[in-house]
Amino acid sequence: MPRVSFEHIVKKFGALTVLDDLDLTVESGDFLVLLGPSGCGKTTLLNLLAGLADVTSGRIMIGTRDVTDLDPKDRRLAMVFQSYALYPTKTVRGNLRFGLSASKLPREEIDKRIAWAADMLQIGPLMDRRPAQLSGGQRQRVAIGRALVKHADVLLFDEPLSNLDAKLRTEMRMEIKKLHEELGPTVVYVTHDQIEAMTMATRIAIMNGGKIEQFGTPDDVYERPANLFVAGFIGSPSMNLLPATAEDGGRARLADGSLIDLTAYAFDAAPSPGAALVAGLRPEHFTLAAPAEAACRLDLPVRHIERTGSDALLSLAFADRRITVRVTPTDAAHLRTGDRVAVAFPKDRLNLFDARSGRRI
Amino acid sequence: MGIRWSRLTPQLALTPAVAITAIAFIGSIGWTILLSLTSSRRLPDYAIDWTNPFRQYDRLFADVGWRISLSNLIVLAIGSALAIVFGFVLAAMIERERRGEDFFRTVFLYPLAISLIVTGVAWRWIFNPALGIESFLHSLGMTWVSFNWLADGRTAMYAIILASVWQSSGFYMALMLAGLKAINVEIWSAARMDGVPLWRVYIEVIIPMMKFTFLTCAILLSLGVIKAYDIIVAMTNGGPGQSTWLPAYFTIKALSAKGNLAFASAAAVMMLAITAVVFLPLVLLTAWQQRVRKGAAG
Amino acid sequence: MTVSASPAPAVLFPRPSKRIRGRSIAVLVFLAMAALFFSVPLYVLVVTSFKTMDQIREGAIFSLPEVWTFDAWRYAWDEACSGLTCEGLKRGFVNSLEILFPSLIASIAISAVTGYALALWSVRWAGGFLFLLFLCAFVPFQIIMYPLIVITVNMGVYGTIWAVAFIHTVLAMPVLTLIFRNYYKDIPPEIIKAAIMDSGSFWRIFVEIILPMSGNILIVVLIMQITSIWNDYLIGVTFGGLGAQPMTVNLANMVTVTTGTVSYNVNMAAALQTAIPPLAIYFVLGKFFVQGIAAGAVKG
Repeated sequence: MPRVSFEHIVKKFGALTVLDDLDLTVESGDFLVLLGPSGCGKTTLLNLLAGLADVTSGRIMIGTRDVTDLDPKDRRLAMVFQSYALYPTKTVRGNLRFGLSASKLPREEIDKRIAWAADMLQIGPLMDRRPAQLSGGQRQRVAIGRALVKHADVLLFDEPLSNLDAKLRTEMRMEIKKLHEELGPTVVYVTHDQIEAMTMATRIAIMNGGKIEQFGTPDDVYERPANLFVAGFIGSPSMNLLPATAEDGGRARLADGSLIDLTAYAFDAAPSPGAALVAGLRPEHFTLAAPAEAACRLDLPVRHIERTGSDALLSLAFADRRITVRVTPTDAAHLRTGDRVAVAFPKDRLNLFDARSGRRI
Repeated sequence: MGIRWSRLTPQLALTPAVAITAIAFIGSIGWTILLSLTSSRRLPDYAIDWTNPFRQYDRLFADVGWRISLSNLIVLAIGSALAIVFGFVLAAMIERERRGEDFFRTVFLYPLAISLIVTGVAWRWIFNPALGIESFLHSLGMTWVSFNWLADGRTAMYAIILASVWQSSGFYMALMLAGLKAINVEIWSAARMDGVPLWRVYIEVIIPMMKFTFLTCAILLSLGVIKAYDIIVAMTNGGPGQSTWLPAYFTIKALSAKGNLAFASAAAVMMLAITAVVFLPLVLLTAWQQRVRKGAAG
Repeated sequence: MTVSASPAPAVLFPRPSKRIRGRSIAVLVFLAMAALFFSVPLYVLVVTSFKTMDQIREGAIFSLPEVWTFDAWRYAWDEACSGLTCEGLKRGFVNSLEILFPSLIASIAISAVTGYALALWSVRWAGGFLFLLFLCAFVPFQIIMYPLIVITVNMGVYGTIWAVAFIHTVLAMPVLTLIFRNYYKDIPPEIIKAAIMDSGSFWRIFVEIILPMSGNILIVVLIMQITSIWNDYLIGVTFGGLGAQPMTVNLANMVTVTTGTVSYNVNMAAALQTAIPPLAIYFVLGKFFVQGIAAGAVKG
């Protein structure tokens, strides 16, 4: 399986620059998820790789082949689309067969591959139906099957699950993950759903405004966000981002005057005293029982409680803003709006950012 | 960037259409305009007398037949506008009274499927003074009526108008019906809740809502009137005298009968000019509609 | 205004209630009279064509034939004189058919492929070309008539069915292309993207994916074209010469240039024979005919 690399990619639509000097390399066999808000350029990047749009400048390599000027069909890729894009007048079998029409394979080989894909995706009984006679989940399987029969080196997915209901989405997520593990192709997968990204990816590229904000493993991205955008984008409910001022002695002061202990923090570059910081505290890392190694302890009034069943989200008043804290339903059971609650935040879970540049420090 | 075959094939596939557009339309229009500036008679002669390149147009506007053609064009356009009114009334009635919709639509629209030559033959027979509707009414004792319109230069155009209204009302009815059906049913409910009488709903709400449909109909009608030829051939062949000449008829007659190529070309160019004048609002309207749509979308 | 106790009727307002009310009757009477007006010419054509000339001379144009006779129909088909030849309308009928098929195939093939290329393949100059086609759709025939005559003469086809078919193709191309293009541009773009990645072949995608999806529009365009080609007079008379005159030209010659006594029954039979093919299509496939009107009218 080849690696895929984008080198100095620029894409403009008229005066609008969608991608600006973008570099990205997907290692062989990786499952890369391009994640970002709508309009961030992730789908454009996928279309450039697929050959459905032309780069303004730059180079796209698949393995050692420069595919920048190749026709889509010559790039040895397969793609699964958001709307499935099944050919409405062809049967399931016809859809899979047409996927191989550019390849000059012998008939037996084509039939063998179709049977293999049908078996793999359990769509055997549907082979002679037309897309209109299939359910959403079945259509999705056929669309994946059409991509699989090509035995392509690189599989592309463009938000393939966004038209499915929640239950099917979970199933298909696992199925796609399983296919990747069994067949091992290089995958580029576009989505705006961070659950999909976190569960399936081996690498995530978080995009915003035509740039890659962070490229790393799901854990990297979640635990060590590279900047404020990623910190705010990844995680639901999102990370609490609190302005703070650096002080002497490895401490920082929050807006309400309370102190955070930064002594356990692994700085890339320690801030000078007086520097404006942003402290990032994930809601689920707060504890009600104070740990020995707490970075900070806060005693705050409850403004609102949202019980989701598996958790409870406390919205606490802090200076002029709110802090979201996730606790177990048991812990929340006795709490009412207006109660004061003492929460602590462990030292080793802290994230710190430079307030001016937005970068992690 | 290399040349991709997938970029080239669609462009190659467009070659016939591009060739037709370039040669049969643009090139031919230019050719005719060029001819209209020459003194060609039976065969083309491309020498242009630059002292007075528009002499054919001078001749054209001095020509009695052309003047008759132009005034008949206006008469026919105004008269045929009845077809739009009639079409709207029919469509509104069909839409209100859903009983028999398919039947009425079929009956009102069938003239459109028939050749105008056949239409002309049928109406000429109806207008036949000795054996047609006039003699029928006379035999009923209504001897004061006169339906011998085709024999009289003052009334022949009315016969043609009647035949073209008969032929085209169904077309406008179909367009209007589509427009009426696109109107939200809740408008009617709202009007009824407000207690507004039906005729006022039509005048003040429905017709203004359908202004684009009306405009489309008006432009199509004008273009149809400019092209009107077959019906003249079949009903009057231009007569009596020159009383039912129209620009389309005049141009073809000049081309085929007189063997006066430059003169006929000048008439054809004038037809194009008239079309452009009618067409201009349509282009502006389309552009405006697109801008409105874009504004609404973004 | 009083508020009705049952809430449903307000929503159903435009639909008539089961009970026929006075206004309904008035509307139906008006519609019926209009229908009568529209039927008169066809009725007169039919009854006259079955009458004997003796009965016609009595002058009752609306009366039914006393004796139903097919003589006029047979004579119009087989013997009636059109111009210098006296072979009836059957020559014109055959010519019309011979013109119809190549015109249909050529005009639909060119327009469908052009519409497909313009709608689904990103051709850079597609927008400008579409606008040009839009303008061409409204050009009066007279301004390109003489050059087209010269072109067909030089192609060596003037006066044959090929000239007539060629001109039909040329004149129909802009409108039909716009119709096909408008239809194809509503195909989801992802389907064409998938096809480009799967096959990449312009023609293969057209034949295997796009054509099977065009059933409805093909029927609509087919009916539009059959009626307009069959009913055409001007192109036939201009480009058909003496050898390839379609039925409408035959009919026009028959009814306008007859010398001596006019056989109205023969004229009406000939007119009906010319009108029957498109009328049959209209009565059988009226739904598509109406769609064709809508597609052709809203070109932009």
